[in-house]
Amino acid sequence: MDMSEPLKPAALHILLALADGERHGYAIMQAAREQSRGAVPMRTGSFYRHLSQLIDAGWVAEAAGPRDDDPRRGTYYRLTPRGRDALRAERARLVTLLDAFPGGRRAARKA
Amino acid sequence: MGPIAPDRWTGVLLRCYPPAFRARFETGMRDALAHDYAAAQARGTLALAGFCILSFADAVRFGLAERRPRRSGGFSMSSLFAVDVRDALRSLRATPVVTLIAIASLALGIGANTALFSILNSLVIKTLPVRDPARLVVLDDGSWTNPIWEQIRDRRQQIVEDAFAWSATRMNLSPRGETDYVEGAWASGGMFKVLGVQAAVGRVFTEADDVRGGGPDGPVAVVSHGFWQRRLGGGADVVGRKLTVDGIPVTVIGVMPREFFGLDVGRTADIVVPIGALANDPVQARMLTGRSTWWLEVMARLRPEQTIGDANAALERMRPAIREATLPENWPAEGLKQYMTTPLTFRAASTGESGLRASYLTPLKIVLGVVAAVLVIASANLANLLLARAVSRRHEMAVRLALGASRFRLAKQLLAESAIVAGAGAVLGLVVARWAGALLVRQLATPGRGVTLDLSLDWRVMAFTIGVAAAAALLFGTAPAFGVSRISPQHALKDRSRTVTGERAFGLRNVLVAVQVALSLALVVGAALFVRTLTALTSAPLGFDAGPLLVVNVDAGSRITGRDSRLTAFENLRQAVAAVPGVASASLSVLTPIGSARWNTEIEPTPFTSGLTRRQRAPWVNIVSPGWFGTYGMRLLEGRDFDARDARGGERVVVVNLAFAHRFFPDGRALGEIVRTSLAGPPPALAYRIVGIVNDSVYTSPRAGFAPIVYAPLSQLEDPSGDIVITARAASGEPDALSRDVSPTVARAEPRVTFTIRALSSSVRASVRQERLVAMLGGFFGALALALAAIGLYGVASHSVNQRRAEIGLRMALGANPAGVVHLVLSRLGMLLAVGVMAGLALSWWAVRLVDTLVFGMQPRDPFTFVAAAAVLMGAGLLAGWIPARRASRIDPVRVLREA
Repeated sequence: MDMSEPLKPAALHILLALADGERHGYAIMQAAREQSRGAVPMRTGSFYRHLSQLIDAGWVAEAAGPRDDDPRRGTYYRLTPRGRDALRAERARLVTLLDAFPGGRRAARKA
Repeated sequence: MGPIAPDRWTGVLLRCYPPAFRARFETGMRDALAHDYAAAQARGTLALAGFCILSFADAVRFGLAERRPRRSGGFSMSSLFAVDVRDALRSLRATPVVTLIAIASLALGIGANTALFSILNSLVIKTLPVRDPARLVVLDDGSWTNPIWEQIRDRRQQIVEDAFAWSATRMNLSPRGETDYVEGAWASGGMFKVLGVQAAVGRVFTEADDVRGGGPDGPVAVVSHGFWQRRLGGGADVVGRKLTVDGIPVTVIGVMPREFFGLDVGRTADIVVPIGALANDPVQARMLTGRSTWWLEVMARLRPEQTIGDANAALERMRPAIREATLPENWPAEGLKQYMTTPLTFRAASTGESGLRASYLTPLKIVLGVVAAVLVIASANLANLLLARAVSRRHEMAVRLALGASRFRLAKQLLAESAIVAGAGAVLGLVVARWAGALLVRQLATPGRGVTLDLSLDWRVMAFTIGVAAAAALLFGTAPAFGVSRISPQHALKDRSRTVTGERAFGLRNVLVAVQVALSLALVVGAALFVRTLTALTSAPLGFDAGPLLVVNVDAGSRITGRDSRLTAFENLRQAVAAVPGVASASLSVLTPIGSARWNTEIEPTPFTSGLTRRQRAPWVNIVSPGWFGTYGMRLLEGRDFDARDARGGERVVVVNLAFAHRFFPDGRALGEIVRTSLAGPPPALAYRIVGIVNDSVYTSPRAGFAPIVYAPLSQLEDPSGDIVITARAASGEPDALSRDVSPTVARAEPRVTFTIRALSSSVRASVRQERLVAMLGGFFGALALALAAIGLYGVASHSVNQRRAEIGLRMALGANPAGVVHLVLSRLGMLLAVGVMAGLALSWWAVRLVDTLVFGMQPRDPFTFVAAAAVLMGAGLLAGWIPARRASRIDPVRVLREA
């Protein structure tokens, strides 16, 4: 996966959901749905496809999870350092983008 | 229960993904799907259906994408197929109404087909849930006496690997008072060993338990898993429970496994008792010794390398000895000779036996044919729909061709659309099938006898559904795909093609519509025949008033014995019932009209009847008390009813019906004549004087109609059985209200008997339930086919009007009047309709041969039905065409010409 390109909305939301700590699959989906207020369709099929690509890119990795957790929930996931870098890069890109808007932060400071 | 268990459904979805992907994510995906499934379920059926379709589409799309090697940098959807699926989903979403109609009609068609198939599957195709069912055979044909079974049992090692006998029947669990029937079976001790069925709880019975009077544990019983759960609490304490089966006390020793339903497909044997237990009841003990009591079926297991032929040869060698040892008493020499020489043969029995199969196989096959035709019609509609869309997308396709897309790519996308529609239709079809199958099975049940068929989705049903969906997708998907190959890229360079030439007269769309019309006509003809058959049967005269009659079937069994004490007890019961307020009259008979039991007797030939066959000389018999004809509302045409004069030892008398009088006596002058027959006892034949003639009535079923019947007085019966029928006539005409008062009266008047109460009209209704089912399904699918065909015609007419707007506008500008335009559109449609109707009439003419046996009260090729069906179809078709035709007549020529 290439860090110089903008992240897909679904990928961004998955990374964001893992920024606070490790979660299991359905919790990530739910968090992504809430963050995007439903704007990013997060169905099981597409979610796991994105997740598998993020894992293959080395941005997300499996985590051990709490010891006494319900085994039916499946694997827990966490951000790798590279994943955190990607999220940071995306944030920087978005901030730059926001600043470029007329009436954006920089424009506001000038006024 | 929900439409489909989420677990199973999830399992199917996950199959779409490659194993490596599943190994990694299966648990998590199951968890997520289960959560979202529950959430969708909470929002209602529609939301659930939407969720199921979307998830299914996702699984196909991503599952297939995962199966492709990913390109480097592969976060973009790289595989061409995935692109096809994505584009297809997008274009289906762009026309939601069309897509929903397509999916819904497919779901209905596929669902109906799957439901019918799953019933046929469990009734006919599935093998018994026992060890190695392929090696099971039954002794052909019908039932055998216990003495014959004992002979076979003692020689079985020389014939086959092993064998057992059984008899499926209703069993009464109530020791006295109102009966409590469950389905059960008497079986010989080897049954479970031969079948290889183990107990789920406790133990099954063995040969040691099947001895006269009971083995070491006394008379025992094994109960079904369902009965254990439903009636016995489902606990381990079931072993040792006491039950009374047909008056015989038995001890429960075990529970059968859940999947084992017995040997009679469609009826779960809830209790199985060794036949030796019958010896504990003096009356039923005769079942074990009777040489003319045919009640057992014999099943055997072949040796591993043995063929049916080998077993038959071995059995035939034993036949003389078996037959010799079991000769029935009191048979005429002719009958005995036949008894000795009739061969004994086995036939394959891997799918078990089924009375349900015998009576419903033909109707179910016909209905399967009907729903298959409906699916073809629905698919043709979809093909037309997609073709119409393909035509309107011609410009898009042409542009893409001009930009270098290959025709194959375009065709592939269209095929992907059909595949998705068919897939979604199949998934929803399975839901429809679950529901429709359960509904149908309920319709097969009779009052008092439930039907249990295992309709779970096995691989055969899944393969059938997938096959049907694939066939439908091919049918409606290839037509538009081929259409792509006819588009030329030049279309893109021209403006939207506006031609003044008409479309081809015999284009694919027109052929499809003609086929739809033809098939619908055949279905409408079938529906009309079935509905008219039902009407004819329900309005056929019975010869008696069933409406106000309440029937009490009384069983005194072995608890009241001896001729006189039985007749006295019966008369006491009759008087008690007659005294119940609201009962106009009550009388006794041995049999009930339209009951399951029959009785006939052969009348000795006279010069007048010498030309008749033996069967024609055998009228039906009933034994009745004085006043019975009055209770049934029958008319005495000549002579008298039975009365106190007809005592035992006096002259033997009978009353006959008109059909009897006309069959056996010239001009029906039967009154005062003598007939000779062995009516109620062993030969020789005795003389009976005819003292009365009554009107004709139905004996077995409305379909069989009137037949000769001879009635004899109960008072002259030498050896009455323990069974008697009390019929009460309700003064109000409403028998159901009476049963509340009659039941305690009977129980009080004679505590030793068991009895069952029902309204006679319920039996009359039950006697036409097969016809009712076929008429209901035929009518429903006939109407559906008609509606689909009308939609198809509308689509074609409407499309052709759109295509010819310019032409029609031009014509109108040149002076054509609106009526002329309507005529222009309708005349083309009329041609199509006429071709379809002609083909449909020919098809129906041929197809009625298949439903010949189901039609009653008219010729299957009933001209009125054919003409009426053709008229209905023409009418519906022209109506469907009239709407677009009117629209065409309102085209504003100025606007059309300005668009040019």
